[in-house]
Amino acid sequence: MLKIHNLHATVDGKEILKGLDLEVPTGEVHAVMGPNGSGKSTLAYVLAGRPGYLVTAGTITYEGRDLLALSPEDRARAGVFLGFQYPVEIPGVNNVYLLKAAVNAVRKQRGEPEVDAFEFLSLVREKMRLMRMDESMLARGVNEGFSGGEKKRNEILQMLVLEPHLAVLDETDSGLDIDALKIVAQGVNTLRAPERSLVLVTHYQRLLEHIVPDRVHVLVNGRIVRSGDRSLAVQLEQRGYDWLISEAA
Amino acid sequence: MSAAVEQLRSEFDTVRAQLPGSVIAPERRSRAIAALCAQGLPSAREENWRYTNLRILERARFAPVDAHAEAALAQLPETPAGFARWVFVDGLLRSGTAAEDPGFSVRSRRSLPAALAPAWPLGSDLPEARLALLNEAFALDALAIDVHGPAAPAGIELVFVTASTAQAGTSYPRVHLRLAAGVELTVIERHLGAPQTGSLVNGAMHVELGEHARLQHYRLQQSAAQTTWFDTLAAELSAHAHYRLLSIGTGAQSARSTVHVRLAGAAAHLELSAAALADRQQSQDMYVLSEHLAPDTRTTETFRGIASGRGRVAFNGKIVVHPQARGSDSRQSLRGLLDGPEAEIDVRPQLEIYTDEVRCSHGATAGKLDENMLFYLLARGIGAPLAQQLLKWAFLEDVVAQIARTELRGEVERALSAQMNAAAMQELC
Repeated sequence: MLKIHNLHATVDGKEILKGLDLEVPTGEVHAVMGPNGSGKSTLAYVLAGRPGYLVTAGTITYEGRDLLALSPEDRARAGVFLGFQYPVEIPGVNNVYLLKAAVNAVRKQRGEPEVDAFEFLSLVREKMRLMRMDESMLARGVNEGFSGGEKKRNEILQMLVLEPHLAVLDETDSGLDIDALKIVAQGVNTLRAPERSLVLVTHYQRLLEHIVPDRVHVLVNGRIVRSGDRSLAVQLEQRGYDWLISEAA
Repeated sequence: MSAAVEQLRSEFDTVRAQLPGSVIAPERRSRAIAALCAQGLPSAREENWRYTNLRILERARFAPVDAHAEAALAQLPETPAGFARWVFVDGLLRSGTAAEDPGFSVRSRRSLPAALAPAWPLGSDLPEARLALLNEAFALDALAIDVHGPAAPAGIELVFVTASTAQAGTSYPRVHLRLAAGVELTVIERHLGAPQTGSLVNGAMHVELGEHARLQHYRLQQSAAQTTWFDTLAAELSAHAHYRLLSIGTGAQSARSTVHVRLAGAAAHLELSAAALADRQQSQDMYVLSEHLAPDTRTTETFRGIASGRGRVAFNGKIVVHPQARGSDSRQSLRGLLDGPEAEIDVRPQLEIYTDEVRCSHGATAGKLDENMLFYLLARGIGAPLAQQLLKWAFLEDVVAQIARTELRGEVERALSAQMNAAAMQELC
């Protein structure tokens, strides 16, 4: 699904990713963990194609294609989804417009007709129930006046509606209380499927208690310094990152 | 005396005998010309006119349009249900019948005997009203609307069509609207024009609201692309009167609206929401002076403007709180969006406060589309052109959402998306 080789990336002229290698096979859930400032969010943004995040060397292959050659919108249409750490508020663009425009953009790319308005609304309502979101949020501006937890749930709602092939969730657990974390995890788990891959970018292990990863990678100073199974995350929770930082140095 | 003022005086001398005294008394017309000759026409060197395209005044034909072109009145939008419509073409009333009910009267002043013409409080006594003086000197007709009671229709629609070119003269729409105490009314005012005509419009409107009167005034400036559109709106509010003015400016090559509101009675309230779009080489300029002359008066101003291409958008909102206006409250939220390296935005709040115990807040910003918002939409697969349109749309929402009438709101949304070339947006509306 996703192959990253020797990825170097700079932000504002400063090198953040320094030769990152990562492979996520189809159907697997991988966690990328690391201390603050290690490059986790940069990796997520580079995958989504955010302007200002400049790839200076390396390759990213997604479903056999050169991901870096695609614009951000074409990546999304090809099935890449970024769950934002800080979802943006867009007053005046309402949630249901955004969802519909996003779904239609994907369908257009695939040569499918636009979604039927009635079917679409019932699909969205069903997913909202799963995320325990109030229907009134549909008519509100995108994330406008939402609490931190509501914004994160809205990200997952979008993901559930868009059904991406590869979802990269950037610190989706940050700012969530335990109940909200469970709802978000439940939403993510419903998307686990043999044809889909998930990358969970997180600082803490607690999300991984609810979404059990197939592999865990540790990102330190712009590189993956260790990979392992779920037990690695438990180990990190007990020992912190310092021992890996010293090893990497 | 500048060449333009000389031209103005000479044209006035030529046509003065034919100007109807019932609309404006002859001596008042002469006084207007004398005041203009003394003050001179507005110039771009003056602070309050910097963003107005005044070049047309150097070669204008100031005399009113005399040979009237045929206007395509059949293409007018449908009259809203319950509304009565009056249509002016080139400043002359063309359709709409006089009403003479006890509670409601609408009359074209042109048809009245001269002796009945009162002096109107619109002219040299207002600051920045020189273009209104020009209207006062040359206007051929005026619509006087007096509403006293419940006999009035649900609303009044005023349509101003410009059909003649500037070579044929200037078009001078003129309206006087008076609501008696406690009266509520909705007015929809449209400015339209035949495409491809370079026309000069110089309108004047006077609004008087009695105590507790409420006026909802929608003003849609959708003039043809080559038009130069000037307008002066003066309003006087008695105690507890509420004036909601919602202005949408998308048309004309160059538009300047000068608004002067006097909050003369206690707790009078001006609620102004305005949106303007300028693209290509268009300019949209609005000057709003709100004077707080009594205690507990309120001004709420919301402006959203988008300049694209080489377009210019300016909004100058001046609020003066006089010594007797204790407990006044004014809020200004003025925002401009720059959509292109050659576009220009100028939004300016100005406050003059001469008493204590007032609340005045203002925010003014001019900037580009928010990159975080834009990336968020791109990351959801929405193409850059549509994403930009969505964000521009969202930017105008604070004003558009104020349109309570659903059919009018739909019409404004269609006009805005047409102006923004937003074919993709229309699918979403």
